[in-house]
Amino acid sequence: MLTFLIRSLEAAMIFTFAGLGELVDQRAGILNVGLEGIMLFGATLGFIAAKTTGNYLLGFLVGIGIGALLGLLHGFFSITLGVDQVVSGMGIWIFGFGMTTYIGNPYTGPLGLDQIPAIFGVSPFVYLAVIMVVLVWFVLSKTGLGLKIRSVGERPGVAAVSGVSVTRIRYMSVIFGGMMSGFAGAVYALYYNPVWNYNFLMGWGFISLALVFFSMWNSYLLFGGAVLFGLLWQLALNPQMFFPGLASRYIWRMVPFMMTILVLTLISSKWFRSRWGATKPEALGLPYHKE
Amino acid sequence: MTLGGYQVRLQRRVALPGWKAALFSILAVIFGLVLFSIIFLQAGQDPLEIYKQIFSYAFFNSYGLHLTINRFIFLALASFAFIIPAQAGLWNIGMPGQLYLGALAAFGVVYFAGGKSGDLALSAPIIILLMLAASMLAGGAYGAIAGFLKGKWGVNEIVVTMMLNFIAFYLVAFMIKDGGPFMNLGGRGESFELPEAARAPMTGGFPITLWIVFILTILLQVLFSRMSLGYQIRAFGKSPLAARYAGIKPFVIAVLVFTLGGAIAGLAGYHYFAAVPGVYKIARTYGYFGDLSFYGIICGLISLGNPIAALFIALLFGGLSIGGRYAQGKLHLGFGVDYALMGMLMISLVAFQFFYNYQILITKKERALDVDVSD
Repeated sequence: MLTFLIRSLEAAMIFTFAGLGELVDQRAGILNVGLEGIMLFGATLGFIAAKTTGNYLLGFLVGIGIGALLGLLHGFFSITLGVDQVVSGMGIWIFGFGMTTYIGNPYTGPLGLDQIPAIFGVSPFVYLAVIMVVLVWFVLSKTGLGLKIRSVGERPGVAAVSGVSVTRIRYMSVIFGGMMSGFAGAVYALYYNPVWNYNFLMGWGFISLALVFFSMWNSYLLFGGAVLFGLLWQLALNPQMFFPGLASRYIWRMVPFMMTILVLTLISSKWFRSRWGATKPEALGLPYHKE
Repeated sequence: MTLGGYQVRLQRRVALPGWKAALFSILAVIFGLVLFSIIFLQAGQDPLEIYKQIFSYAFFNSYGLHLTINRFIFLALASFAFIIPAQAGLWNIGMPGQLYLGALAAFGVVYFAGGKSGDLALSAPIIILLMLAASMLAGGAYGAIAGFLKGKWGVNEIVVTMMLNFIAFYLVAFMIKDGGPFMNLGGRGESFELPEAARAPMTGGFPITLWIVFILTILLQVLFSRMSLGYQIRAFGKSPLAARYAGIKPFVIAVLVFTLGGAIAGLAGYHYFAAVPGVYKIARTYGYFGDLSFYGIICGLISLGNPIAALFIALLFGGLSIGGRYAQGKLHLGFGVDYALMGMLMISLVAFQFFYNYQILITKKERALDVDVSD
């Protein structure tokens, strides 16, 4: 039971890392639907780096680095070139999916390093995730930088007039988002599931994206949602713990995906929006053109 | 920006003539192929030589050509499944899920007709027609879920279709593995093999699904250029708000395009698992085939929603991916060269989107008569 809860938290931390990056992105008005691709890249390259050198730190740095590069790429496409953000994000996802399938295949199999030790029974990344949640909340709502980020996501025109460089803030956010997604991928491949396999991320990037919508762009709610989905994921893997003999294991594996659709539908409904006042960043997905 | 007395400016395009759009699409493909050749360079090979081999295997070798055509049929159907919702401004990335459902439904027909173990209870033409109908119905119904949620509550269709992919993936696993109803009696984690009579008939060495692709191309062309419904779909895609004022119902459009797209994806599932010679079962590695349908996204985007253009691009990509597999075996490259190609083509396409939106103006620098305030 304790293992179950710990594993759930460990799954939650990965959703949290990726989701926090996307949350900051979206707060700045940039939608990146390609975080699955960035996570796949971070996971695969981080895995290869760690496996070939035996150095965990290098693996994580590679994950963060490739994430930053892909975030920069998304920024270049969507901010500088003015490409539709969904098209660019889908491009990054398919790019990541296609390339990592090819690049990672020779490294199929387990990582073969000692597991990163736990602190008081819980992975150190869980603590890091909690710290990041508070940090992102603090920066976004209590600092001048956060105000700038939010303003370019709501009213970029007004922000620009008051002397905020929309382009610079958006680039910063999108690179931060990429780094977090790349890191989340690396944590997945180096800690949570250290066995490289074809498309082994199983849509976690898309689930994280859904969690950002669910969080109403609040980092605490994001964390709550991540824990909920971590529990669900573990339940889907170990249904016999609670419901022995009920339904095939393949049916259970569908549950988190069904729940994602259900939750997304619930928060998209008019009732929910008027009840809780989901505050979607006003300029989300819209490119900003200097007049 | 000024370069040697010439002023270089970016200007947003108001309209883009069709031939120019086509040109950019072709350039995007070429650029993608140039990017892809990095893989051959890395393997210490001359890319031009490899491309020559890829093309001659894919299009001028009888065995390779058959593989190419079969993959072309699959990619064309996947592209159409993407294009119809895309014309309405909606993203269908649920082709894998829809095609799994289509394949399951087709196999379900055979299963209920007793084809798993013994002789079929129905005659061959009826079985085949039922299989085709069932695959379209199942794929369409599965697609309609995303359309319904989008139309009714505006639920993000990208996330929903992706989640539906995974649900369908496990549904197939449930049906064909661990004693599932469609499991092969040998227990190899794959479905039972279709009996002779339930396999798609061949005409001229190619399965009938080839003709279905041609018929669908004409139908889609007529839908989008001649029919008021096609016009409504495109109007909704251009501006949902304006379309609403014109009396177009968003809910109806969303459900309709996803149902049509899903039905065609269902056919793609029928094609790959019930019509490709030498397959005729849902293989253990069905996930790889399902994910190949993401090529449809690239075909659909590059062809700018034009079904005839999509046909040619699907043929090119079909050949390239088959030839890529051949080169992979010959050069001892890693698995998944065709996926790498997919990634390269996609990122090149996104980069070229820029040219659809902007044009680069190069003018000789004049004395500044009108002062540009923004700089």
